[in-house]
Amino acid sequence: MVDQKELIDAVKETISREDVRYIVGYEKGTFGFETAPSFAYTSDDAGKFIFNPLCTKNLVVYPILEEKLPLKREEQVDDRKIGIVVKGCDSRAVVQILQEKGLKRENLVLIGIPCTGVIDTKKIKNKFPNQTEYTDVKEDKNHYVFSIEDSVQKIPKEELLADVCKECEYPNPVIYDIMIGEEIEVDTEPTYNKVREFEEKTLSEKWEYWEKHFENCIRCYACREACPLCYCKTCMADLLDPQWIRRSVNLSENTAWNIMRAFHLAGRCVSCGECERACPAEIPLMKLNKMLEKEIKESFDYTAGLDPEEKTLFGTFNPDDPEEFIM
Amino acid sequence: MENAILSKEKFPELVNLIAAKNKLFAPVKENGFSLFKQVKEASEIDTSYVNTRVPPKSIIFKQTETLFRFTPGKKGNVEAIPEENEKIVIYAIRTCDAKAFALLDPVFLGDFEDPYYSARRRNSVLIGLSCSNPGPACFCTSFDDSPSSKEYVDILFTDIGDNYYVEGNTEIGKKFLEEYKTLFDSASDENVKSRDTVEKEAIGKIKRTMKLTGVAEKLDGMFEHSIWYEYARKCIGCGTCTYLCPTCHCFDMQDESTLNKGARIRVWDSCMYPEYTQHASGHNPRPTRMNRIRNRVYHKFNYFPKNAEVFGCTGCGRCIEYCSANIDIIEIINKIGEVEE
Repeated sequence: MVDQKELIDAVKETISREDVRYIVGYEKGTFGFETAPSFAYTSDDAGKFIFNPLCTKNLVVYPILEEKLPLKREEQVDDRKIGIVVKGCDSRAVVQILQEKGLKRENLVLIGIPCTGVIDTKKIKNKFPNQTEYTDVKEDKNHYVFSIEDSVQKIPKEELLADVCKECEYPNPVIYDIMIGEEIEVDTEPTYNKVREFEEKTLSEKWEYWEKHFENCIRCYACREACPLCYCKTCMADLLDPQWIRRSVNLSENTAWNIMRAFHLAGRCVSCGECERACPAEIPLMKLNKMLEKEIKESFDYTAGLDPEEKTLFGTFNPDDPEEFIM
Repeated sequence: MENAILSKEKFPELVNLIAAKNKLFAPVKENGFSLFKQVKEASEIDTSYVNTRVPPKSIIFKQTETLFRFTPGKKGNVEAIPEENEKIVIYAIRTCDAKAFALLDPVFLGDFEDPYYSARRRNSVLIGLSCSNPGPACFCTSFDDSPSSKEYVDILFTDIGDNYYVEGNTEIGKKFLEEYKTLFDSASDENVKSRDTVEKEAIGKIKRTMKLTGVAEKLDGMFEHSIWYEYARKCIGCGTCTYLCPTCHCFDMQDESTLNKGARIRVWDSCMYPEYTQHASGHNPRPTRMNRIRNRVYHKFNYFPKNAEVFGCTGCGRCIEYCSANIDIIEIINKIGEVEE
């Protein structure tokens, strides 16, 4: 468990620095099992910060989403640092973006939190669908503990843990300036069992499965907007000339969008699961991402977002790279 | 026919009869969530839901509408789309979603009648199902509506145990029920009581309140307030809130064609996207998320009341429930109420 006081003190100290503009972390949500992104501009704001297993969101998206308007006359660029509270997967997103030169290390202060996995809010909502009050969840060994209307609930972690966290190899931030709490020992090896099981299906079964899901896509682009690695200035889905994907919302165009996005994240996705969490149509997007992650690991022995000095997968070429897929 | 009861045993028969003559849409559960789909049998229908993920506005105001087809080139021609005149029945629509049609009607049937919306809307019968288990984000009561309101539906069903309590509200609804009257039994005082209990219990489950008094007027003086920046910081700029909103109705039009055939289509658009207001010159009058969030709130809680004397929100709670940044419209409006003038 993260010591709340240690987190708040670290945020207070950091925001008091002159070279820090703001820090983004988590605060209590407005109802049920929600948490919300929180922005600290002063040390008073830091008091709102929390960290618990409901803090699912990958906050690395926020520096990426900053909108830079043209400067007014005599206005100076504010290039002070942005602080971000990062879990293991979030920190890997930072590393990946640094590799791609999308952000500069000197513009960031990273407050790292070793993460023991986050709750799948869909699972907890299904269990307690009428919870209106904000509910603080604590972790106690292998259980989640929280109270619902004065009765204490103790639910085995396995039941509520997000699927993507079950095979997490990197719960500790791989890059940080300040670490809150102790590093976690890791003994998880990803098995990719779910992907392997899916691979066993016949082509028509697979197609039927994806058809059923892509049909429901409403093309709101929540997957793209929630993803810290979807930061192209103009997404190809928004281009009109040439128009790669039509605006018509139908199975064909929806499939084109989802497959295209998965491919654009190959070798870059850090498995935070944010796209799947944000998807209002409950499309199992991580199945696509995990499949590509496994392929890349097996073919190129490459894992995204580990070392900011390393080159990106698509930025490197090795004469020994496997070529079976080239006709 | 006005008020009656329908035994649940006879419900499948009613569904079969309706589906034989009409396009019957009802909530079904697929991939773990509910959505409205065309059904043929009662067994397909799943009413154990709070709200469908995508609102039933999509049945009348389709996400993708083909306006006409054309053949490109000098010898090209334009081919009109035949008007849809099939009868549509939407079963188990919630009060909030039904009210949304009352808000969409002035838009699509007002000064300029939209033939596509109009054809479907005029051919539709809305059969409501009282909402007995509102979710944590529901707040229809804040608009003085009830989960069992029959105001916006043609017919209202209420689950009262072994039977449905059936109320015909509009002329269309009453006439519709008349066709199937052999299936219905007359309602007793006891049935009326049960129906009222369902309504009362459901209202009791709605815990959150949006304080709306004076909000529309107050917004007049809040265009430059810092509150918009506060919420815009959290917003990731996806279109979930608008696409899942039963009253949002903005659209984009495009010509989609190959070398020898094409169509002009209309698709849902979202004011949450920068492209929505992007001018051809490159200028964007709503350049940041602050401008866009503000517009969304103003549209529903200031422009709508000014133009149509009703709030552009029905309290379905979808934008609250599915926002990945927990931007909560109840909280925004209540905070606006607290701002000192």
